[in-house]
Amino acid sequence: MKTLIKSPALNYPVKVFATGFVVLTLVSIPLFWFRFICQMSLSVRMPDDSKGVLIEPSGLVPLEFENDPNVVSHSRVSANIYSEERKLLSLGIGDYFITRFPGERHSNVYFFESDTEWMYFDKKSGQIVYRYNDIQIMPDKTTREKIVQLYIGPEGVSETPGKTLGRFMDPIIDHGWVERRWIALRQGRLCELILYDKKLRSFFKIDFNQRTIIKGPKLVKDFPSHKPIQIGQLSKTTFELNYLDWTPPRIRVPDKDPNKTELRTELRPIIPTGYGYDAGPYLLVLDESGRIDLLDKETLEFVRRTPEFPGVAGRLPEPETYFGSRGSGKPKDLLGYKVWPLSLTTYFFENPEEVKVTFGDPSYLYIKRPPARVERKYLGMFAVSLSRDGTALALAVFDENGREIKTEYSRLPKYEGRYTTYVQSSKAFFFGAPWSPALTIGKYLAENLQPPILSVASYFTASAFEAASGHRALFFLPNSFIAMKAGDRGENFAERFMSALWSILPSIILAIWLSIRVGKNAVTLGLSENARLYWIIGTLAFGLTAYITYRLTRPKITLVTCPNCGKMRRPDMAKCHRCKSDWLVPELIPPAWRVLDSGEQIRDSSTAEQAAAE
Amino acid sequence: MFALIKREIQDHIVYFIGAAAFSAVFIIISVSLVHQYDPKEPPVFSIGLGVPAATIVIFGICAMGATQMYLDRTRKISALLSTLAVSRNRILLTRVITGILVILILFVPLTITAGILVRLFSPPIPVFTGMVFEISVTAFLMAFAIYCIGLQTGWNSSALTPSLGALFLTCIFIPLILIKGFGAHIVVILVLFIAASLIRTWHTFMKTSL
Amino acid sequence: MDENVIKVENLVKYFDGRCVLDGISLNVPRGCIYGLLGRNGSGKTTIIRILLGLEPPTRGRTFLLDTESTELSAKVHGRIGYVAEGHNLIQNYRVGRLIKLCKDLSLQWNDEFFNHLIETFRLPTDRRVKELSIGMRAQLNLSLAMAIDPELLIFDDPTLGLDTVARRQFLELAIELIAQQGRTILFCSHILGDVERIADKIGILAAGKLVVDCPLEELKERVKKLRVIFPESAPSNLYLTEIINQQVRDREMVITVANWNKQKQTVLETFKPSSCTEMPMSLEDIFIECTKPKQKSIES
Repeated sequence: MKTLIKSPALNYPVKVFATGFVVLTLVSIPLFWFRFICQMSLSVRMPDDSKGVLIEPSGLVPLEFENDPNVVSHSRVSANIYSEERKLLSLGIGDYFITRFPGERHSNVYFFESDTEWMYFDKKSGQIVYRYNDIQIMPDKTTREKIVQLYIGPEGVSETPGKTLGRFMDPIIDHGWVERRWIALRQGRLCELILYDKKLRSFFKIDFNQRTIIKGPKLVKDFPSHKPIQIGQLSKTTFELNYLDWTPPRIRVPDKDPNKTELRTELRPIIPTGYGYDAGPYLLVLDESGRIDLLDKETLEFVRRTPEFPGVAGRLPEPETYFGSRGSGKPKDLLGYKVWPLSLTTYFFENPEEVKVTFGDPSYLYIKRPPARVERKYLGMFAVSLSRDGTALALAVFDENGREIKTEYSRLPKYEGRYTTYVQSSKAFFFGAPWSPALTIGKYLAENLQPPILSVASYFTASAFEAASGHRALFFLPNSFIAMKAGDRGENFAERFMSALWSILPSIILAIWLSIRVGKNAVTLGLSENARLYWIIGTLAFGLTAYITYRLTRPKITLVTCPNCGKMRRPDMAKCHRCKSDWLVPELIPPAWRVLDSGEQIRDSSTAEQAAAE
Repeated sequence: MFALIKREIQDHIVYFIGAAAFSAVFIIISVSLVHQYDPKEPPVFSIGLGVPAATIVIFGICAMGATQMYLDRTRKISALLSTLAVSRNRILLTRVITGILVILILFVPLTITAGILVRLFSPPIPVFTGMVFEISVTAFLMAFAIYCIGLQTGWNSSALTPSLGALFLTCIFIPLILIKGFGAHIVVILVLFIAASLIRTWHTFMKTSL
Repeated sequence: MDENVIKVENLVKYFDGRCVLDGISLNVPRGCIYGLLGRNGSGKTTIIRILLGLEPPTRGRTFLLDTESTELSAKVHGRIGYVAEGHNLIQNYRVGRLIKLCKDLSLQWNDEFFNHLIETFRLPTDRRVKELSIGMRAQLNLSLAMAIDPELLIFDDPTLGLDTVARRQFLELAIELIAQQGRTILFCSHILGDVERIADKIGILAAGKLVVDCPLEELKERVKKLRVIFPESAPSNLYLTEIINQQVRDREMVITVANWNKQKQTVLETFKPSSCTEMPMSLEDIFIECTKPKQKSIES
């Protein structure tokens, strides 16, 4: 080991790589900030008209409601890109803290209301622990609060923990139920909860009243293969996507405010609308491919394919890329997405004349007494996706049979006299506002200062990065123009790759120029052929970083003039590396004589000439 | 080895005292933050004291690395030591150990205090599991990386290059925490950066004339 | 174990494009006292620094105690006592602290001997090194170098700044050390009288070369200064090789010749000089002759 460390052959490459990494890091950080500032400035300048998508009428409301003669505004679904200052929170430090809050993706705590109400997944025991305040009604009609703590495993639910309850390995719960527990259910606690365990590959339904757990069938490896990543409330938290907003058809009704004396009217939904994320008798399940399946809440099985129903509720729509083609609809490739199922709930009471209908979950706020029977019908879903770079939205509507009714994309309308043309929002983002082209060029140039090899690697690896983490990438650039080209499906592989290389042409030109300089300097310094070749290749691959590394690690030797060829040569070499002549030091003229030990006469070249002359 | 470490500690005792003092300051700030936490009133005083204190600590750690190397060069300390029964490897190793000790004196009490505060004041469930550890490790490695920047820039006979160079590079490097946050991603980058910096420093120190 | 404690093989050193050493080779055997001489800037200190690993060579290799200088371990360093030119000590340390540091870092420490030296030199231990005079710093440096009982001593102008008495004390110490078997000393000094007193072997550097490298007595035998008087005017060319210096005034010629032998004597006698007197030379005289700029080009 000591010999290895001292080996000069190993020392120099190690030093070069070490210096190279330091330089790469210190160069990448200011480049990141420059790109970040350009991106943020572009976001601020993005034309407002290109940030939103609207579909009206939504297409999912039953016609008897949509076409009601009293309707003054039809149902609509819209989504907007909302960025600006929230971009700062998308940096790593913001993401780190925010994603660790209860309910967020890196937290095992599903919710935390107070010291007496919370739910979390205990990795150690593999069980979900749920604590809540149980309000018990005593015989004398008084109420009593009791704190209950339940331990839930795949084998059972109990107030005492134990191995008999089994172990969950990697559960995903329906956060929608957790959020709606106050509104939808009695007594502020959960009645039931559905979860999916990725490792056990099964769905589970927990009944908190009965304290039982039902296990669904194990997902087998069939077609289409199922790899659920989210269930129930399907959304990817992002500060880029403001909200997906759905408004039912509205009618005009008199304003019932007693404080107002004038006769006024207001717009109200034609029928009450409950809290979102309710798919009636089903649960939406998002697959890692972007496909959205329907899970039957009773059987815990996916709804089977029939001639009418393709077996799929829909999929995340694919936003347009900067190059105009469809991008990826996979959750990993999207900066944000939201899915909003729509259902119709009908309440039947003892009096058959009395029927109430609502959109979505009943939300007992509207119902004063429990119904005799409830019918729930799944109507379809809205899905919105935000592209990886945060510049394009796609909004899709799917009906109850999973058929795509309509898809709209964010576009900037351009009014040219009587005609209106539409510019894709990605293009509007980069070029559609004052100063945007300059900022885009700035971002482009900053990307081209990255090592070419890392840019090319970004082309191939862009899809491996999760979209949000791509905005925090330092060395690879999954959101660069070259990586955007990788996601463009409009061309074949060869055409796409050539276009991608074209996009880093300034970087390639810079690398070539720097490698020529390095090569020339290496010749001057007398580096070996191999070393020169490695440096040229390295500079071609790593560009500016390699050039700086070369300047820092090259031998620091003052060259002297060779008396034979007149060029600069290295004094630490026995022969001139240019003309191969022996070493001479003409400025030193030693005497011809020597008085050496035991008469030994060491002749050097200077004394040899003089002795011959004598 | 112990004699060398003792020498380094004695020569740079001011950094040890500073580390202990700032550790105490941060502990007081943390305790007061937790004790007087009011969601309606932002802890202006604590933040007002904490931010400049953190800035001084960051630049102080960098200055320590730069000072160690600069004073060695100008006072020819290694030139004397390497003529004694000491190798250059050991001289550099003791220097780095001393730097690590200063950083540990700064962070270990702080981490212990944070752990205790989290245990005392956090909810009864693991809401912040692992965060204290992750943040402490990241902060320690970041401090060590900045120290290594100081080591690299300090070996210079001119006083300007170590001070301005170290300052400049530290200002560039520190925002890495904003970019990457805490956790595995930044730990990998920091570990590689530290290793690369130490290799560079070692190479320079071994080859240079004393 | 190699007989030679110090080995220098074809050493070349450049400083910023200026050649200081141009292919130096020398060996210092065990137990030898080697006096390395040269004018200011001839490269004596450079050779020593390269030997100790303080300076990297441009070309060539150097060995100390069978170890290449670039790979000297702590143990090898511990066997070497070094007094640097200018007395490289940590200036802001107190003397006591510096002594403790050197003692803690040494492999062996002769406390008794060291204390004896401190008392002899009357060095204060509570003052800072920078507050000491040059002479006291020299004495301190010397004491520290000697206290470790070194196998090899390297002195670079050790008596610089010492008064006459202190110089004499140092010489006596050196002689005392010599008496101990196996000690080797390499030292450079401009006070050639001191060198002449104790050196076994002499090396003289000139124009980047080692022009003299032989035992002192042999040097005195081989370098001769002759005063030759010719019956008529002195001949312009004596057909002698290895003339170090030559001065002619009418019939008188003063000639300094290297490697004087019978052959050269015979050649001189062919010119039938009226008289030929040898002028005795001390080491200082030899040194001046060898290193002063040539007054006449040496051509036969």
